[in-house]
Amino acid sequence: MNNTTYMGMEIALRGLYSAQRGMANVAHNVDNVNTPGYSRQVLDQRAARPLLVANSAGMLGMGSDVVSVDRMRDTFLDEKYWSEAQYLGEWEVKAFIIEEMQTIYNEPSDNGYTKIISDFYSALQTLSTDPSSLSVRAMVKEKGIAIAKYFNSVASHFDHLQEDLNNMVHAKVEEINSLADQIKELNLQIYNYEVMGNKANDLRDRRDYLVDKLSRLINCNAYEVETGLKLPNGEPEKRFVVTISGKALVDHADVVHLKCESRKQKLNFEDIENLFEVSWADGNKISIKSGELKAYLDMRDGNDGLVGLNGEKSPNCRGIPYYQRKMNEFVQVFARTFNEGIIDVDGDGVLDKINGHVDGYTITSQPGDPPCGIRFFTMLGDDGKPLSSADFEAMLLDYAAKNGITDDPSTDYDERILAGYSLLTARNFSISFDIEDDPSNNIAASDKPGEPGNNENLKTLMGMRHNPYMFMEGMPEDFIKTLISSMGVDGQQYVQSYEIQKAILNQVDNRRQSVSGVSLNEEMVNLVKYQQIYGAAAKMIQTYSEVLDILINRLGV
Amino acid sequence: MRITNNMLINNMMLSLSNNLSRTQKYQYQLASGKKIRLPSDDPIVASKSLKLRTDVSEIQQFKRNTDDAISWMDITESTMRQMTEIVHRMREITNQAANGTNTAEDLEKIKAEAEQLRNQLIDLGNATYAGRYIFSGFKTDKPLLDASGNFNIDISNSEQIKFEIGIGDDINVNVTGSDLFNGGTDAASGEKSKLVDVFDRVIVAMGSDDKSQLGSLLADIDEQIDNLLRVESGLGARMNRVELTANRLDDDLVSFTNLMSKNEDVDMAEAIMNLQNEANVYMASLATSAKVIQPSLVDFLK
Repeated sequence: MNNTTYMGMEIALRGLYSAQRGMANVAHNVDNVNTPGYSRQVLDQRAARPLLVANSAGMLGMGSDVVSVDRMRDTFLDEKYWSEAQYLGEWEVKAFIIEEMQTIYNEPSDNGYTKIISDFYSALQTLSTDPSSLSVRAMVKEKGIAIAKYFNSVASHFDHLQEDLNNMVHAKVEEINSLADQIKELNLQIYNYEVMGNKANDLRDRRDYLVDKLSRLINCNAYEVETGLKLPNGEPEKRFVVTISGKALVDHADVVHLKCESRKQKLNFEDIENLFEVSWADGNKISIKSGELKAYLDMRDGNDGLVGLNGEKSPNCRGIPYYQRKMNEFVQVFARTFNEGIIDVDGDGVLDKINGHVDGYTITSQPGDPPCGIRFFTMLGDDGKPLSSADFEAMLLDYAAKNGITDDPSTDYDERILAGYSLLTARNFSISFDIEDDPSNNIAASDKPGEPGNNENLKTLMGMRHNPYMFMEGMPEDFIKTLISSMGVDGQQYVQSYEIQKAILNQVDNRRQSVSGVSLNEEMVNLVKYQQIYGAAAKMIQTYSEVLDILINRLGV
Repeated sequence: MRITNNMLINNMMLSLSNNLSRTQKYQYQLASGKKIRLPSDDPIVASKSLKLRTDVSEIQQFKRNTDDAISWMDITESTMRQMTEIVHRMREITNQAANGTNTAEDLEKIKAEAEQLRNQLIDLGNATYAGRYIFSGFKTDKPLLDASGNFNIDISNSEQIKFEIGIGDDINVNVTGSDLFNGGTDAASGEKSKLVDVFDRVIVAMGSDDKSQLGSLLADIDEQIDNLLRVESGLGARMNRVELTANRLDDDLVSFTNLMSKNEDVDMAEAIMNLQNEANVYMASLATSAKVIQPSLVDFLK
């Protein structure tokens, strides 16, 4: 076959079409410069199928053809991004939560723990210089209340925070489920488009963007697997799978949700009731390794890896239960020492019995009276009012009896009382009703009856402040100092890890942007290019038109 | 590497936010005067600061205790000085009465003065400080002596009221009635004070004009004067110690407050400089960002 009359015009027309497609593509790219997750699209433009010329003069070019529109995407970078984003999510949330926890302690400041405990001991010191002064006694009472209220308030702040975190766990699980559903929908749409041999570029961008979001929430892997079947166009059939720790969250058109169920048995003794346990909706246990959800769970449940009430290990992280436990430990030891004088005085690891508040004498005691037996600190009763020392003692002994430590010769009184102190928590810590009711009389400053000027018992009580064996960490101040610095060190580590992770992710994202991002300069160059080509192709048509004019009109047939 | 518009914007946003967070840190430092806001900003500074705060508050309390101790001891000392004067005057008039040259009228006057001195002595024994009987040991709510000079309470030298003026450092602030009025031996309630007893015997001897008895009582008075001096010098030594401690606590307070400030207070000059520095960087990055981000080929295609 030889040249036909209109062949050149056909070729020029293809050029026009290609240039138009090119300009449309530029417009699409420019429009989506700021669309999150968008990757730029490029035309796969090829020379059209040539015409075989019969006289063996070779192939005759037939212009250009746009075969497909592809998105520029590097899946390696996507996977890199997804594997790093989970840590960003985790550290960001942890850094944020521990900041809130630090503000609860409010240290270092002029109204935190240090100030409150110092004020209490200062009041005792002042009382020791004037043991019979009623106004100083009232002050000691107020400072004692301040200590109790401080611990109550810190504990209830931690409770509220734990509840907030629990709600966040629920919210994050919902978010993961919703993302999974959206990914499933996109899987179906993409499959339906591509089964016909098309490329669903924009839908794929959207799906990758959803995985970007999901990867911050939880450790997840996302990839396409070949089913082994072939599509009508001969391409292998692929399905998109998202897994969490090896189990599929989304498998093409199937979704297994996560669910939150209230725990029947608390994990930690210190926990509030009804915390959510996260598991697969099909009942399987889930292993969450990182991501925001992990951060919320760690901070909500973290008890330094202690085995909990339900026999499972708590997360190996110092979260709210850890600090609650430490605060409980503090009030138990502090109250037990102050009230009973049961304390290790020589550092041999064995508790000794020295004089405590119970062994002192009140201001109105008469020679020959027994020790007052009044406990300075007790706990809040069920009605929220401080228990009297006598009621408290009964509770302690009752607790000991219930736990098998009964009143027989092998267990002395102190041992039973000691066991009972585990009832005391930062939440219910209080000064006793006796002290609240009548501090003028009931603060036992004296170590002998009938001596209002005697401050010997007070001095024993004050001496405990400097006992380095009171806690494993040392003196009362050391205990809190250790607690706050360990929180500070954790916080510092979280913030640093977050900063590092932010930099890593920014770098990965930049590389992704480098491949997939739209460059306006590039698009403008393309625009000019296609514009020129359009002009040139139009010129070709004009020229052919003139040629045909010569052929048809001028030859004067 | 291919650089796209959004990369520039991302990098700009990251740098700007880093820069702003540093600016915020210095701004906080300047506004609060403290180096750190949370323990995580610098756990070491935080833990040191907790320790130093405790130390400072303890020193302040010890200072208050020394002040209390000093005023208690001042009262005790001035009371004892009056007692010494009384006993000395007693010795003088006893000496006078032991002379043979007194008329009956003179003796009567001397005796009346001796009785006055005796009552004054008992009153001094019941001296109070802020409503507390200073010589009554731990029984600060009860007077030491009754009107006839008998002990009103059981009193023992071991009833030492101790104030804490340092960690594990106690000072005994009181003088017990037994030490002062009973020649240093413990006394039970109802027992006669040895000091008042000497006075009483002098008064009786004056009444009967028993010159030899008065002469021999001079030795007893001397014995009581020696006892007073002994107790007084003991108290003096203790007051000395308290005053030394008070001075040391003053120094400690200054140096610990200083340490605390060094540890947690911000160096203003440095913070202002840092803030200024950050502000400059911020301005510079805003200016360059504005230049880099805005134009593209779009602006030049006409």
